[in-house]
Amino acid sequence: MSTFKLMKNEIRMLRNQFKSAITSPSMLLFYSVTFFGIFFVSSVISTFVSFAPLFFNFSVLLEETLDMGMIFAATAVLSASSVVSGYFGLGPAAVLTLEDESLMMSAPVKPHQIFLSRYARRILRKISFITIGVLAILPLLISASLLFFAAVSLLAIIIISLEINYFLGAMSSYVRLWISRKTQHRLRHLIVIALGAIALLPAHPWLLSNVSAIYVAPSNALALFLTESTGIFSQGIPPLYSIIFIMIGFMVCLLLTANICGYEYYELFSDNKGREQTEGRFSKIIRGEIDFSKSQFTDPMIWIMMKDFWSRLRSPMQIWKYIYAVVGTVFVLYLNIVKPIWFPPIIVPIGLAFAIVPAFILMMILFVQMGSVTSMLSFVDERDNIYLLKASPFNPRDIILSKYLLSLFEVAITVIPACGFLIYFIHIEGYLAVITLIAPLTILFTATGSAFGAYVPVMTNDPKTLPVPLALSFPIINLGLGAIMVLLVAIFSDSMLILVILPLFTLSLVYFFLALSLRALNTYK
Amino acid sequence: MTIRADIERMPGDELLRLARVLKVPIVVRTIKRSWLVDKVLKELEKRDAKIPIALESPAIQISSVTKNFGKKTAVRKLNLRVEPGEIVGLVGPNGAGKTTTLRMLTGIIRATSGSIQVDGYDIVDEAISAKERIGYIPEKPTCYPSLTAREYVMFTSRIYRVPHETALIRMREFVELFQFEEFIDTYIGTLSKGNLQRALLIGIFAREPPYILALDEPIYGLDPRGAWNLKKLLRRLRDEGSAVLISTHILEVAADLCDRFVIMNEADVVGHGTLEELQKLHPDTNSLEEIFLSLTGGIPE
Repeated sequence: MSTFKLMKNEIRMLRNQFKSAITSPSMLLFYSVTFFGIFFVSSVISTFVSFAPLFFNFSVLLEETLDMGMIFAATAVLSASSVVSGYFGLGPAAVLTLEDESLMMSAPVKPHQIFLSRYARRILRKISFITIGVLAILPLLISASLLFFAAVSLLAIIIISLEINYFLGAMSSYVRLWISRKTQHRLRHLIVIALGAIALLPAHPWLLSNVSAIYVAPSNALALFLTESTGIFSQGIPPLYSIIFIMIGFMVCLLLTANICGYEYYELFSDNKGREQTEGRFSKIIRGEIDFSKSQFTDPMIWIMMKDFWSRLRSPMQIWKYIYAVVGTVFVLYLNIVKPIWFPPIIVPIGLAFAIVPAFILMMILFVQMGSVTSMLSFVDERDNIYLLKASPFNPRDIILSKYLLSLFEVAITVIPACGFLIYFIHIEGYLAVITLIAPLTILFTATGSAFGAYVPVMTNDPKTLPVPLALSFPIINLGLGAIMVLLVAIFSDSMLILVILPLFTLSLVYFFLALSLRALNTYK
Repeated sequence: MTIRADIERMPGDELLRLARVLKVPIVVRTIKRSWLVDKVLKELEKRDAKIPIALESPAIQISSVTKNFGKKTAVRKLNLRVEPGEIVGLVGPNGAGKTTTLRMLTGIIRATSGSIQVDGYDIVDEAISAKERIGYIPEKPTCYPSLTAREYVMFTSRIYRVPHETALIRMREFVELFQFEEFIDTYIGTLSKGNLQRALLIGIFAREPPYILALDEPIYGLDPRGAWNLKKLLRRLRDEGSAVLISTHILEVAADLCDRFVIMNEADVVGHGTLEELQKLHPDTNSLEEIFLSLTGGIPE
């Protein structure tokens, strides 16, 4: 069985997915919303602001603020973090799926063949998304006087470098498997520190100034490409050299990763799948012996919320979210009240001062958007149980409201620390007026998330998998709604009408999206 | 005769595809179906008649296999043989270790100790050769949702190196048997559980017999007609020399289908033999169900 045949099958699946997406009106609608939404937003931004002078000044400003070593250190830290996180990860087993377990693991194909074919599909998907993404932001690129080719090559090289980091992580996971076979000593995992240090080593200033060959290291090659292609700290080395180094690094790492793919990764995949279904030890400790079935509440909505809350808490990662919320909130309160000198906020260069308020608002919308992703998963997390819930004697309105309210709580606790950091780091005048928008944004984005999540079982037979167009258009629609909200505030900022318009805008849209969720729930296949 | 019947039942596009695979010269714009069927059959006759492959004895040999998941033992010191021309039922309550046994047998996971051989090939040292000979239906059937059932069957036949023409003819035979015609060009992601099970079975049977099959709850999701067809087919395959290991806790299916039984409970084999042998050992029982209950915790009052 040649790897080529497996690759052909992966490409066939990708083509079928595409075919199915463009022939289903709902999928096509969401893809169009994503593409034209970005195109429209970038066109509007480019008519308001010309980015060319900004980019012209940017390299000068960066050279004044940073030093060259920091760029090399940053790319090395990226590689090191991949190595460290990869050590505890699944490595090549991360590409395996339940379907592979049923079909391919018992078939006469070698693990590296499955890995390479799956990887080919991943690369093709990425290439298509980059192409579509670059086309969508074309107006911005033109406004910034950036050449299409330059932008695409910059994106491509960054993505290839991130892929190299993924391979480094995969190799790091292999080291864990190998060392665990040799010894079960508790201290064996200290090796990860050495691996992280090796990944950081190429950025050492002495090596950078004395050993020319060190630029071949993938993290250095990326830093070199960034400096030479943007002209920041340029040393006059043609960027082609760094592209060659990166491509060599990519091929070497790809082949090394394929080479380490063995049957032990099948075991690792099965083991991990089993672990997903059991409780994390830590969350068990935190949860104690709480049995929510003994709850005093009689309201079905509270019951659904409690079911969701406790069942989510029993997944290993969820507990970290709450820890992050508590620790993060305490920390941002400390930062904003004490303002410690050892952790100073960013001093914005004068040349960039004109862009600081839009940047603050944009980041605020983005943070709320990132936090609201949980709301989209509130229905997806139910997996096939969504049909049980639908068939249960609950009023559909109660189901929707319970999902919405619990999501609102989860989104809020995620958003608070993130926005707290933003307020501390980017100090803008009159920030108190601006940050009040976080509340309506959170309320609104959670409602859009709930509606998107509720539509998953309508669009697909697989209620546990979020369709790609839905996942892509969710942030775009939220960004659009956020931009409209900011625009309303800007227009009516001097009028008392804002006190009516803003709540009216938010609540009517929330009602609209919750009504959509209800409609979706009533039309499940 | 069977091949002729299968070819005659082929829809036009499938027949043309087979003709192209067989390199039947088609030089005119309009051809008669009967002419094409004859040409295809002639071309098939020209091909070398394959010498039927016989399976090694035993077809499946599991020797002293133990599987631990951390501190928990899922299978303990299991010994099991399946001979060609035999259907063996692996029965036991939930969590007895049946699925783990089949997953080790098919090379998805490795045994902590012991050895497994499929048609004489060690599943660890000669994994590819061993896997080429075994067909597996998992407990929870899943398949690539973005493939149509036809694409899946063709893909799987390529993985198992089945000649293209054989795969086309056998696919037609089993599409008819499992009454799958209306779903053959449907995306797998939209199939019901029973139809997904049918697609997986067609994928296996597109290969050439004799088979070594590891079937985990194969009747799961099939309607009565589909289940009856499958049972009839398995009996026929057994008579033709295939070796089948079925894991199930539907005792009616096991009693109806299997020649021998291996009863597992909490990782151990608690009984094995034919129904008669087991009844001799447990004279106060009247059926496989009662034998099973008495071996796995006693018959409830």
